[in-house]
Amino acid sequence: MRAYATIGNKNMQVYPIKLSQPMGATLAVLGVKGSLALAHGAVGCSSLTKIFFTRHFCDPIAIRTTAVSELAAIFDGGEGIVREAVQNFLPRVRPEVIGLFSTGLTSAKGDDLKRIANSINYPIVYAETPDFEGGLESGWAKMAAAFIEQVMKPGLNLRPDKVLLMPHVSLHPLEVEGVKDLLAEFGLEVHALPDISDSLDGHLGINQASLCQGGIAMDEIKQLGSAGLVISVGASMLPVAEAFLRKSPQALHINIPGLMGLQATDTFIGQLMRLTGREPGPRVKHWRRRHRDALIDSHFYIGRKRFILAGEPDRIVDMAAALAEAGGIITAIIASTPGKSLERSVAHRTLVGDLEDAEGMIDDCDVLISNYHGERIARRHGKIQVLRGFPILEQIGAQLKVDTLYDGGTHFLVEVANAIIAGHPH
Amino acid sequence: MRKKIAETPGNVAPCAHKSAGGQDCRGIEPPGLATFGCAYEGAYFALAPVSDAVHLVHGPMTCLGSTWEFRHVGSSCAGLDKTQVGFTTDIGEMELVHGGEKKLAGAIDYAISKYQPQGVFVYETCVTALIGDDMDSVCGAAERRWNIPVVPVHAPGFIGTKNYGERLGLEAVVNHIVGTKEPEFATPYDINLIGEHNINGEMWMYKPILQEIGVRILSTFSGDGRIEKMRQAHRARLNVVVCAKSSLAIAEIMKKRWGIPYLSASFYGMREASDAIRRICRQLGDAKLIKKAEQVIAREEAKVNKALEPYRELFAGRKAVLNTGGNKSWAFAVALQDIGIEVVGVSVRKSNEEDRAKLRNILGADAVLMEKPVVEQIPLIMRTGADLLLAGGRSLYSALKKAIPFIEVSQEKTGNYCGYGGLINLARDIDLSINNPVFKLVSGDAPWEKKVMEPEQCLGRGA
Repeated sequence: MRAYATIGNKNMQVYPIKLSQPMGATLAVLGVKGSLALAHGAVGCSSLTKIFFTRHFCDPIAIRTTAVSELAAIFDGGEGIVREAVQNFLPRVRPEVIGLFSTGLTSAKGDDLKRIANSINYPIVYAETPDFEGGLESGWAKMAAAFIEQVMKPGLNLRPDKVLLMPHVSLHPLEVEGVKDLLAEFGLEVHALPDISDSLDGHLGINQASLCQGGIAMDEIKQLGSAGLVISVGASMLPVAEAFLRKSPQALHINIPGLMGLQATDTFIGQLMRLTGREPGPRVKHWRRRHRDALIDSHFYIGRKRFILAGEPDRIVDMAAALAEAGGIITAIIASTPGKSLERSVAHRTLVGDLEDAEGMIDDCDVLISNYHGERIARRHGKIQVLRGFPILEQIGAQLKVDTLYDGGTHFLVEVANAIIAGHPH
Repeated sequence: MRKKIAETPGNVAPCAHKSAGGQDCRGIEPPGLATFGCAYEGAYFALAPVSDAVHLVHGPMTCLGSTWEFRHVGSSCAGLDKTQVGFTTDIGEMELVHGGEKKLAGAIDYAISKYQPQGVFVYETCVTALIGDDMDSVCGAAERRWNIPVVPVHAPGFIGTKNYGERLGLEAVVNHIVGTKEPEFATPYDINLIGEHNINGEMWMYKPILQEIGVRILSTFSGDGRIEKMRQAHRARLNVVVCAKSSLAIAEIMKKRWGIPYLSASFYGMREASDAIRRICRQLGDAKLIKKAEQVIAREEAKVNKALEPYRELFAGRKAVLNTGGNKSWAFAVALQDIGIEVVGVSVRKSNEEDRAKLRNILGADAVLMEKPVVEQIPLIMRTGADLLLAGGRSLYSALKKAIPFIEVSQEKTGNYCGYGGLINLARDIDLSINNPVFKLVSGDAPWEKKVMEPEQCLGRGA
């Protein structure tokens, strides 16, 4: 276990990778079926977020804003303008639930979301997610916890075969689907919260723009209290699991730190075997053989290569472990925000910072794994880049990528190895 | 909150952006229905193309995190193009309690010492406006410390729309930078381009043509912009306001302060581009220049007409709906007509009375002028059987999800449709879009949705 640090005496972010809590909250709302995200802030908070995710996912994003103006910022405590917003859009869309969250502006002026939500006669789930604290992971987690606290019924009879999966924000839609499928193979009835596996997965449906078309249903969330088993993925989801256990203390909770690489997947499947007394099916077993083979095939290229990983803590710590399995040297992990998962980083240097920090260490790096903003830096220094994280604007299919479990781990190693092969003159 | 915000320089100049409802370009939209960007976004995007300046956003993470590198603005900057670097103070809880001025001062010093810009723009945001940071004095002190312009831009998101923010951003430049340096030499053919962001290099589609004719671009606000050039902008003989109503206000200020006349011009579409060139040359009033312009226009139009011939045939009878902001509406409408496509509907949401009259004149009596394009555009396409929607990124996937061919015309777009060459690009992209087989393919039934089993789909039995 090693300590992590921020790089000192810098009063700012340059080439930032950090994303805000309201953006994380938006994604969490998009994991609930029939929902509408409502940002309580100035117009930009939602219009910018909408464009950001629309371009990342290549899909319409259901989000609206209370459009707090200069006058409202001074004179309104929030009730008036939130009520007005809801009254304005209800004739056009009738969401199952409104996911209301604050932004820097409205939290700074002290609007009380609980009072506001209670004063409006419509299903509203609310979370305080100012963008001057936390980041993408915590915004997602706070909104997820809000659904547990405000929607889930307490005191239901526990069912040992019912499992609630709590994925961290960086798991791609198809990765969530993969974990759900795996759990189902162990004979469990699976629910995920938030569940973006069929809302942000890039499918062609109908009326996708106005309301969230996939995700966990509100009725399902109400009944989550009967889940005998809760599996949270990533350290950022621990507070959500705690919120669940406060309401349902008898349930069994396990936290899975990561799902990338052979050892992480072995650990997870080992736990599932002990919990259910079952073995995984033949397909999973065969994917493990492929994963082992991919480790052998890719180690020529990944081995001894130096990596810098920048992104959300839960994801990059997980990813670093998977690359280290194939012999990669992790020069640095640069996290967008502090996170408990950084304590188990396998990198030589682990810090909270930005891509300027990555550029400062670029001589000790062969491959930069980061979001789209790292592209120019990698190109400028002649480094190989693999795109992961938010946003990815110049490639399509980010939502279809699977890097987790045996099958995803196999594809991930192959992709990284091929990027290295393509990036080096023969 | 300090008084400063209510007294922004935006109130000093008349605004040409009056809508039918009499709202000015602050145009606050109703809660729950608002879809425009905010003032900060407008100011940031208006100035970010200045590639030798540091653009420092004084606010929490969302403001910069979801705007930087979201537009491709062309820059010919040698060395590091600072347009592609994001700088933010990333305000946290500490600053909320103790104020962010110290952090801001430190950030300005760090950015200047490390990146050696010719100037710094500091963008105010909702949170830093709310906590009352005195940006003016922090910027003033930094300016004296470093001896380069450090310009506070007071356009926090909640103050108004993107258009309004763009105007405030440009006004900050006019008030702080323009007129602080004399050009080495001046010519009677010096102009400024205002409101041109050079997105995807659009300015470069017509700039060489103007130069060939003999017009000198003294300064641009702010596509491929430079601080040094902006400082000299007051010596131009003409301001050309390119496609943005919000920029008219600063042309008006420059007219009052330095006596520079201005005109509005658009370079979208062949007729508009030619018209713009003619009006610029006529205003500069030199017979030789006008003659040269006619030669160049004739040559370029002949080139475009030849390139468009096959497309006009291909597009015969094709119809389009257009949803873009401000006076881009008529500019694109004309461009579409130039390539032989009928425009059956157009958004007038951001247009003023003059724009509306102009559109009616261009499109004829039958075209629909959409007041609420977000609601109206898809039904209009269904009703008219239009083949294509041209709109901003917000409409992109709602159209594509209905299998409607789409061309993006916005500040985030990837195409370059400006000038004579741009019209050919537009024709090519429209052809690629409406004649692509995917739209028909994805609209077809799945095997399990087909009502009647076709005989050849039945498998034969036995041998």
